[in-house]
Amino acid sequence: MYSATATPVPDFLDLIPPERRSDPHALLQILIQIQHAYHHVPQEAAKRLAAEMGIPLVRVQGLLSFYSFLSPQPQGEYVIHFSDNITDQMFGNRELVALMCQRLDVNLGETRKDGRVSVHFTSCTGMCDQGPAALVNYLPVTNLDRERIERIADLVNAQIPLKDWPAEFFVVKSQIRRSDVVFRKPIEPGAGIRASLERGGAFLPEWAEDLAPSDARRHHLERGGAETLKEIYHSDLRGRGGAGFKTGIKWESVRDAKAGDHYVLCNADEGEPGTFKDRVLLTDYADMVFEGMTICGHVVGSKIGILYLRQEYWYMKEHLENVLNSRREAALLGKGILGTDLDFDIELQFGAGAYICGMETAMIKSIEGRRGIPRRRWPLPVHQGYLRCPTVVNNVETFAAATVISAKGGAWFAHNGTGQSTGTKLFCVSGDCERPGIYEYPWGVSVHEVLRDCGALDAQGVQVGGPSGTMINTQEFDRSACFEDLVGTGTLMIFGPQRDMFEVVKNFALFFQHESCGLCTPCRLGTTLLANYVRKFEQGCGSPVDLEELRNISGLMKTMAHCGLGQTANHHITESIEKFPAIWANRMKTTEFVPAFDLDRALEEARGLTGRNDSEAHLAPVEA
Amino acid sequence: MTSSFFLDGKEIPFKEGQTVLQAAMGAGQYIPHLCWRPELEPHSSCRLCIVIISGKPFSSCTQPAMEGQKVECNTPKLNAMRRAVTQLLFVEGNHYCPSCEESGNCKLQATAYHVGMQDSHFPHQFPIRERDSSHPRVNLDRDRCIRCETCVRASRELDGKNVFAIHGRGIKSRLAVNSPTSLLKDSGISPDDMAVKLCPTGALTVKRVGFEWPIGQRIYDKESLATIELREYANQEAVHG
Repeated sequence: MYSATATPVPDFLDLIPPERRSDPHALLQILIQIQHAYHHVPQEAAKRLAAEMGIPLVRVQGLLSFYSFLSPQPQGEYVIHFSDNITDQMFGNRELVALMCQRLDVNLGETRKDGRVSVHFTSCTGMCDQGPAALVNYLPVTNLDRERIERIADLVNAQIPLKDWPAEFFVVKSQIRRSDVVFRKPIEPGAGIRASLERGGAFLPEWAEDLAPSDARRHHLERGGAETLKEIYHSDLRGRGGAGFKTGIKWESVRDAKAGDHYVLCNADEGEPGTFKDRVLLTDYADMVFEGMTICGHVVGSKIGILYLRQEYWYMKEHLENVLNSRREAALLGKGILGTDLDFDIELQFGAGAYICGMETAMIKSIEGRRGIPRRRWPLPVHQGYLRCPTVVNNVETFAAATVISAKGGAWFAHNGTGQSTGTKLFCVSGDCERPGIYEYPWGVSVHEVLRDCGALDAQGVQVGGPSGTMINTQEFDRSACFEDLVGTGTLMIFGPQRDMFEVVKNFALFFQHESCGLCTPCRLGTTLLANYVRKFEQGCGSPVDLEELRNISGLMKTMAHCGLGQTANHHITESIEKFPAIWANRMKTTEFVPAFDLDRALEEARGLTGRNDSEAHLAPVEA
Repeated sequence: MTSSFFLDGKEIPFKEGQTVLQAAMGAGQYIPHLCWRPELEPHSSCRLCIVIISGKPFSSCTQPAMEGQKVECNTPKLNAMRRAVTQLLFVEGNHYCPSCEESGNCKLQATAYHVGMQDSHFPHQFPIRERDSSHPRVNLDRDRCIRCETCVRASRELDGKNVFAIHGRGIKSRLAVNSPTSLLKDSGISPDDMAVKLCPTGALTVKRVGFEWPIGQRIYDKESLATIELREYANQEAVHG
């Protein structure tokens, strides 16, 4: 990590190798380095990068204005970002932010005049089971309470360097509360790759026939991952990131796609509020994730993997680099894997605060050093993904599952779960329950069972799959989590009887407004209009017409929005109207439409002037 | 062998590699659009050209035409949604048609007539946006920008200049100018740039020619948007194939 330093920016840039400095694909990663070192990206740095990379300055500025954690304006030496998920809010983050601002004498969203500190809100930081949480200089601080806030304020005011702060502030717990067949006994590092190599199955797609005999990609395909691909098919594994696309089809498409290099990207941009399984997987089972990527490289004929990690998980960088290094030492990664002629290596790249980058094609753009705007649908990433080459993009949990499937076989994996949802799934449980954390269940578990296990029997509602997922009330607790019913990222945010569900809706509406990328009309405007109507109801000024309008805008977004964000950014609205109607009804002036004036009475004057009193001169029928 | 698909039941021939929108336009079937231009890479952001294929919505400007496909386009439900999307564009910016020099030449306005928009329906956002009149010949009025990125693409793809980009995110995103001062006067823009010519609204205009033609004798006063667009597309095809 780069510490705040007095090195002038030009000298700092000199520390970056010239070939990297001149590569526009590295733009985002370099901007993150500068942001960390200087707590902003000075204009002179932006100009020099644009010049060295041969790109317009406006493109560099475009990134600074897109990613929440990049800033063209100087931030304090201490930058504090309070996580603002609904769970943080439920456990008092608003009072804590107010206390922090008061103790530090700084306004929210601003930098203190002496340049010491800035305080901001940010979207969910993935610490929902140990919130309220915040990031201090991009490092997570968990379990915030008044005492901890006061101590942090004192440390900042006394200018104590972060490394001298109490270590317990930065403890992030994994809190795995329940393991099932997959994670009860994790796969030993290398077991999945060995199984894949032993299984063999050469398959040389047409595009690879012209490759030189020494080409690593050719080795991959000749050494064969074809049998492992069959196991993936047998397992019926579906993507764990929410969309549930069949992994076997995706891998086969990339293997058989033409064009040069093939890439394996792991999506660890875990931005769906309430979701933190990838954080736990990468903390406790990083080997399984990296091994899954390596197996994928073997199957599809790729030698380069990239793990795209959200900025909120920057603190894991050192740990993950250590795991990668030990895998290289054990010949599980790098050149000549397990003594074969197979090469595959993995690099880490970071996001900079944009929920949209969890979207496959937006993530690809971000890794290419661009604004994370979802691409058009065609061509698909399996044909033209990263650098327009065939690309596998899978979720962290999907790669971990692939390792298990390679080691234990597809049939073993498919034994658990339901017809269309095989295997087990990690569930992220947070909110009003006794035991928040990670729970592994076979797919198909009922919400009720999870609530019982985590100690939340008095819940009035659960948000399944994050804000873009499904909001359910007590009538639906027998529904099950699987692709046949409640799909999503495996997130359960639980709301006890004391909670006002309207606050949940409002939190989600503001989240989506903040995170809409702005590309397409229905989402850019739709998220804003929904948020504005929610504010109108918050003031007690709603009307039944507004409810109708909320439904209409939601329907418009569902059909017309460009990507999954916009298509789902209205679920919380329509579902809360259906399932928690009282929270809306309570905020209306009246449940009947009452116009401001009586039109028929207004006609009375005209009737008097014209001397008419026939039925045509009345709005309502009159007795002759 | 020519292939064909069905647009609202009508058979549309297409060539390999054509999108649904290209094939439809080529066959004389207009599908509303604002961000699409035949000479530019499709952008799929205005969402007016959405069609339904096998029950699912797709932007026809990016969707490849496929043999035998049944495409729903001119349906009451989709037309109502296109109208709503157009209304959203009007309430997002500050569009004062009666006093705008582009009135009658404006594709946004013409599209509003085409989709049958009679009011703006949604609450106006009245954003505060910066105007850039710094350039002697070209005016940038962000109040009228609909974020279609036609100028961004045209400047990059046709003018080879990269004068424009989008900054910010979501509802706060806006058109930015590539120049040391962020002003048009210090950019490489010229009034002859396709970026200026292709702007579908009055966001980018050439100065001192706004009222060359009186209202009533302007582009969309004489012919309908669909007629003009279809003719332009046919001419384009005739030149470039």
